Amino acid sequence: MLSLSEPALPGECIRAEKAWKIYDTAKGPVEAVAGVSFSVRRGEFVAILGPSGCGKSTLLMMCGGLEAITAGRISVDGAPIACPRTSIGVMFQESTLLPWKSVLDNVMFPIELLHRPRREHMARARELLSLVGLSGFESHKPHQLSGGMRQRAAICRALVYDPDILLMDEPFSALDAITRDEMNDALLDIWTRYTKTALFVTHSIREAVYLADRVLVMNRRPATIVADIAIPIPRPRDPSVGETKLFNELCSTLRGMIEHSHRAARDVTPYA
Amino acid sequence: MPDATGRERLLTVALPTGTAVAFLAVWQAVATLWAIPAVILPAPSDIVRQLVGSWGELLYQASFTGAEALAACVLSGIVGILVAAMLASSTPLREMLYPNLVAFQLIPKIALAPLFVIWLGIDAPSRLAFSTFISFFPVAIGTLTGLQSTNPNAIRLCQSLTASPSQIFRHVQVPYALPFFFSGMKVAATLSVIGIVVGEFISSKHGLGSYILLAGSRAETARIFAALVVLCVIGLALYGAIAWLELRVRRAWRG
Amino acid sequence: MAAIRWRAWRPIVLPLLFAGALLLAWQELTGWLAVSPMLLVPPSAIWSVLVQAWPVLLAQSWPTLVNSVVGFLLASGLGIALGGALVVSRRVEQAFWPHVLIFQLIPKVAVAPLFIIWLGMGPTSRLAFAVFLSFFPIAVSAATGFRAADPTALRLCRSLTATTWQTFLRVRVPYAIPHIFAGLKVGVTVAIIGVVIGEFVTAQEGLGYIIMFASSAAQTALVFATIALLCGIGLLLYGAVALGEWFVRRWYGAPISAGGFE
Ligand SMILES: Nc1ncnc2c1ncn2[C@@H]1O[C@H](COP(=O)(O)OP(=O)(O)OP(=O)(O)O)[C@@H](O)[C@H]1O
Ligand SMILES: [Mg+2]
Repeated sequence: MLSLSEPALPGECIRAEKAWKIYDTAKGPVEAVAGVSFSVRRGEFVAILGPSGCGKSTLLMMCGGLEAITAGRISVDGAPIACPRTSIGVMFQESTLLPWKSVLDNVMFPIELLHRPRREHMARARELLSLVGLSGFESHKPHQLSGGMRQRAAICRALVYDPDILLMDEPFSALDAITRDEMNDALLDIWTRYTKTALFVTHSIREAVYLADRVLVMNRRPATIVADIAIPIPRPRDPSVGETKLFNELCSTLRGMIEHSHRAARDVTPYA
Repeated sequence: MPDATGRERLLTVALPTGTAVAFLAVWQAVATLWAIPAVILPAPSDIVRQLVGSWGELLYQASFTGAEALAACVLSGIVGILVAAMLASSTPLREMLYPNLVAFQLIPKIALAPLFVIWLGIDAPSRLAFSTFISFFPVAIGTLTGLQSTNPNAIRLCQSLTASPSQIFRHVQVPYALPFFFSGMKVAATLSVIGIVVGEFISSKHGLGSYILLAGSRAETARIFAALVVLCVIGLALYGAIAWLELRVRRAWRG
Repeated sequence: MAAIRWRAWRPIVLPLLFAGALLLAWQELTGWLAVSPMLLVPPSAIWSVLVQAWPVLLAQSWPTLVNSVVGFLLASGLGIALGGALVVSRRVEQAFWPHVLIFQLIPKVAVAPLFIIWLGMGPTSRLAFAVFLSFFPIAVSAATGFRAADPTALRLCRSLTATTWQTFLRVRVPYAIPHIFAGLKVGVTVAIIGVVIGEFVTAQEGLGYIIMFASSAAQTALVFATIALLCGIGLLLYGAVALGEWFVRRWYGAPISAGGFE
């Protein structure tokens, strides 16, 4: 069995208090995140849902210490985040595999950088790869894989050094619908096994409801969280929950909220 | 906070200017404080004095080099386009010639300069031919690449609209090829000045190349530097002219 | 079957055929039209001069070859180092990049006499001039390459708390390799050009000197023979760089396309 760490203590893991992000651009300041507050408990799976360009990526990158916070604060494990930490793993929209490395070497890349013992992590990397159905592809190069396979390798890479928190920025949005459902199941499988704290950005309502314990709905202008909806669908979940009444009700509630905030935003700024 | 972008913009101008000024200042200080002989390293102030003092002479020499470089640049543009059109029009011709042209590009063509003197003498035509010879190649390759990189779907669209081949050429292929042609021309602008200067080195009685060589044999270093400054201005002016032309042509083509 | 094989061989056979036909035409036409041997000599005459003067040509090609190779290696080291230094900090880049670009555009060959004044008529000045000429294309392409790394890959490194040096070695360098070799291929030809121009101007030794000498003595056949030899050296060195690229790419174990990212 994999020797990933057990779920840590219950309690608060990520906490954002009135976090702002303003980008300076040639055309003037752009308000990407406007005073967002939320918190994520340890072991919880939270999805951030919102229309394109509303600041989801920016917020997530601020949580990972990859983007400076203009005002307010975000703390992770009780300490304000100022720079990236090894307790946080990040998955990007693209698989971001290095094209000259084999799949196994790509998964081992964090181990190489962090100077962790190679032998035991090699075994872990192979186990993770077989868990996502990539055994036999260890020595393939990224260009020999399909998009879904690349993303599965990227999941393994994010897990191999055993971070406590997973930040995922629309990791499956470039995939086709069928592969995407598969990837969601693979992700849920891994998450229930190791119960990492997960913050997952998406603009797919169904994906958010299927995966998350809670969904934070983001608005475009102002770029802030307008709703925090609990998803009381029991786990373990499998694709059949997509047909249940509860699931579809939750989806239409969320859709209504997004459309409402959209219309409000359009009324404020009539096609600026 | 918004000030940060203004500061950034200021820095992109101020930093390079600053390093240039600092470099010149250090040069001046080193040359004067250490009393380095002007033969080895004249101070920037000496160079400026020389530049002002022999202005008429420099301008006279520059007129040869500048005019010949400009002519060579234009010629290499014409030759480059003709070669590219020839290669683009026929597949067997392209297959025969293209690899030979590329292999030719890998050899140090500068070494052929004396041949041109043997063939065409020591006057302007010899230098023009040599300079065109070394600088038409990037234009030819660039234009050919451009003509071949035309989006096949755009051509198919035109064909579906029953456009004639000349219409397709004018409306699709030329706009696609223009950026490639101009990036070849920018390389050619630099190469054509080099070609003329090398030609002047080995044959000519006038022009900045022979002026520099003469000053070198008399160890008049300040004079060399002054001539180099003028030569750099010619090189940059030619490049700038091409860049400006590109802007105009592209704008004209877009309507 | 035969048709397929012909299609595969065509791109190789046709150019060779053309080159052969050109040589043949050259040979026959010079004899037929009785072209003065001062202007153009047939390939056969070039060949016989090449054979006759071989000891001299070999002896003179040695300094040209050594200066070119050493100059190219020095320029590669300096150019790649400067290219790397330029991307270390944004401020350094802002301060120096425009100067490097301007130096790319100006006719640097004209500086040759200065090198003679500084370093004398000997091989040192030719070497230094070759370094000076071939340094710029290498530095520019190295800097371009080091900046070609995929931004998300850099971000991934940051999220893994990689050091600047780790990021440089493991991500920036591999992404830069195709660009660096593109620069090296230009640089190696330019280094030879630098040495030859130095030999033109100093007229002491080397193939450039032989070309100048022979052309002023109207020994056109010797000019051609020497140029042929110089072309051989050019192709040889270019081939060596291309081979080096092949090895490095194989060592990194992937077909790296410039800027490609999977
Ligand atoms: N580096 C940057 N500089 C300036 N503005 C930026 C930058 N990054 C993002 N922005 C702006 O900030 C806003 C939010 O961007 P962000 O990438 O966070 O949106 P998003 O919700 O992730 O969108 P998507 O769903 O399309 O990925 C956008 O208006 C964008 O233009
Ligand atoms: Mg995003």
